[in-house]
Amino acid sequence: MIIPIRCFTCGKLIGDKWEEFIKRVKNGEPAGKVLDDLGIKRYCCRRMLLSHVEIIDDLIKFYGKRDVKNENRR
Amino acid sequence: MKVQILEKNGDSIRFIIDGITTSLANTLRRIILSEVPCMAIDDVMIIENNSVLHDEILALRLGLIPLKTDLDSYNLPEECECKSELGCPLCRAVLILDVKAESEEKVVYSKDLIPEDPKIAPVSDKIPIVKLAPGQKIRLEAYARLGKGKDHAKWQPVSACTYRYMPEVSIDYERCDGCGECVNICPRKVLDKSNDGKVEVRNMLECILCRDCMNVCPKDPPAINVNGNKESFIFYVESTGVLPVERIISEALKIYDKKCLEFLEEISVNLNVPKKDENN
Repeated sequence: MIIPIRCFTCGKLIGDKWEEFIKRVKNGEPAGKVLDDLGIKRYCCRRMLLSHVEIIDDLIKFYGKRDVKNENRR
Repeated sequence: MKVQILEKNGDSIRFIIDGITTSLANTLRRIILSEVPCMAIDDVMIIENNSVLHDEILALRLGLIPLKTDLDSYNLPEECECKSELGCPLCRAVLILDVKAESEEKVVYSKDLIPEDPKIAPVSDKIPIVKLAPGQKIRLEAYARLGKGKDHAKWQPVSACTYRYMPEVSIDYERCDGCGECVNICPRKVLDKSNDGKVEVRNMLECILCRDCMNVCPKDPPAINVNGNKESFIFYVESTGVLPVERIISEALKIYDKKCLEFLEEISVNLNVPKKDENN
């Protein structure tokens, strides 16, 4: 749904590294190199970022504008 | 007992302890993991939340945020004098989150979590907590308290705490013909060939005791021998940022000391009981 705050296995903080990771990967950098740069060494933490899909972005589309309209009507 | 620090990078430390038993090394590891207290959000009062994350998920995410801990000015709730369920300023810290997305999507970060005591703040400012669609808002009050890793992993001050036997690699030069098979197979590049074709041990500490070099050696028995010294350990401790690593280790030793004293007291009390009975 949204990037987990910590690694499921070891508990290392990974949430704060997601935005930089996805930005750099989308710019074409190899994911492994970005993970190395971010200091994520263990494969338990690496899979957290590598395999994550941010579904919340798709969910949010169903809210938002309609809610603002409702609020204006009141 | 001898301690030698190998390296320290920010929140992690690698050191050798020489002259202890496996059980003592494991005791240290287990105390660090499950007994050293640190701060984490435990109770959350949600006043308003119409985000896509349910209250429970939101509270769980808040709980997992590592908070900088001040061990000297806070008490463990069960040891605090107040004995109150909600806690007093000595055993809990309040953080407030009050955000609203106006006309655009908004990401709520850990920096939006305003601590009442600036010493108890999130370790990083950039942890995403939720994303809000336009018009959505969150208002809540979070109560952080000290806790122990054995109750919940959010109170674990370390993300890694491991030890391994000190490797001992020796080569029998009388039988080694310098074929180099062991140099090629070593996954940690522990071995290397010197200019005159001799196999040499370059960085013994990197050895992970896989013994591939022993298995690949054409000589029988192998001309190379790998063994773990069971009285010497390489420790690796990595803090989540809540406390400095040195503090975590010293705190763990203090707790161990206290536990030993309690045990001793318990034993002496129990030994005294039959004596009293005899007098009666």
